[in-house]
Amino acid sequence: MTARPNARELAASVREFLETEILPALEDQRMRFRTRVAMNALSIVERESPPPGPTDPGDIELARRIRAGDVRDGDLEALTAGVREKLLVASPGYLERYE
Amino acid sequence: MKEALEAALGVSITGATLLAGGASKEAWAVGTADGRELLVRRAAGGVIHEGTLSLEHEFEVLRAAHEAGVKAPEPIAYLGDVEGREAFVMERVHGETIGRRIVKAPPPSLALEMADELAKIHAIPRERLPFLRDADPFDEFYDELDSVEEPHPAIELGLRWARERIPLERPRVVGHGDFRLGNLVVDENGLVAVLDWEFARLSDPAEDVAWPLVRAWRFGRDDLCLGGVGKVEPYLARYGELTGCEIPVDELYAWEVLGNCKWAIGALRQGRRHLRGDDRSVEFAILGRLAAEMEYEILDLIRRAG
Repeated sequence: MTARPNARELAASVREFLETEILPALEDQRMRFRTRVAMNALSIVERESPPPGPTDPGDIELARRIRAGDVRDGDLEALTAGVREKLLVASPGYLERYE
Repeated sequence: MKEALEAALGVSITGATLLAGGASKEAWAVGTADGRELLVRRAAGGVIHEGTLSLEHEFEVLRAAHEAGVKAPEPIAYLGDVEGREAFVMERVHGETIGRRIVKAPPPSLALEMADELAKIHAIPRERLPFLRDADPFDEFYDELDSVEEPHPAIELGLRWARERIPLERPRVVGHGDFRLGNLVVDENGLVAVLDWEFARLSDPAEDVAWPLVRAWRFGRDDLCLGGVGKVEPYLARYGELTGCEIPVDELYAWEVLGNCKWAIGALRQGRRHLRGDDRSVEFAILGRLAAEMEYEILDLIRRAG
């Protein structure tokens, strides 16, 4: 399963948010300093996290097969397990709504 | 903007406040010297779905809806270009639009009022709005999904499953295109106004009827399938009584699956807007990852249908 933006791209989006929207709104020098430090920390996360990997060829094939109308036994279960894995990272609290 | 507004309205402006720089539109609260409270809607950035109406066309839709007796803000004037971006002005209505607050204590009449407004919207003569798109929704959703340029087999399964269960045989009507909590103004007495007409298009009436059922628009009240404010059956029955259009519950369920596909694709496209640099925003970025919530709901709906 693919997941974009990945960690590196998300860290960049937060760093840009701090830079373009938060920093200009801050007047307190201490807060400005700490915001710059937070941006530096996010820059480290960006450099330390891998760029997004190539798309999973299995997903490409599966998407193509289902679009062609070839849905097989086990597809639903396999997809549910895969999406669950994505949500355990992206939004674990959401899964609790199904318990 | 002040001068353009004053010229269009023929009255001086006492103040203008930016209320929200939304995903695609700005909203300005404007006061006039003669005491009116107006709202200026102005273009901002990109669009979520292909075929989003221009503000000129959105204004025409609002006018048609208002004339048809739909609870909608009174359209005042289309302003054309205001400092580089098109805009229109309408009445400013008061009430709550935040879904999470509305579902905490929804007015009892709200669920049926939603059916009432949809019935009125769907009765607007389509000749009145000849510019509205008239396209097969599946073609559009597949095109939009392809524009994301990565495979999403869970959404593919949802689209396939819905396509097999949706006959698409009803005549298309004028559809709102985004009729749900969040786009409805509500106060303690009930529904005040239907907002955000930019996604209006010709559609099977069931598409609008099913859209507020999508779990994301229940704002945490998952047990009340109609937007976190009511049960589906009385709402569906009321809609049927008013329009003569009977939508079988099973078909509505398939439209609900399709609605989840639509919002999953919309969220992925927001994430792409960020990644492509069209519109850098942490909110759009995170939506790319939250599309997995809608994917999970699609799969769960299919599983529960057995």
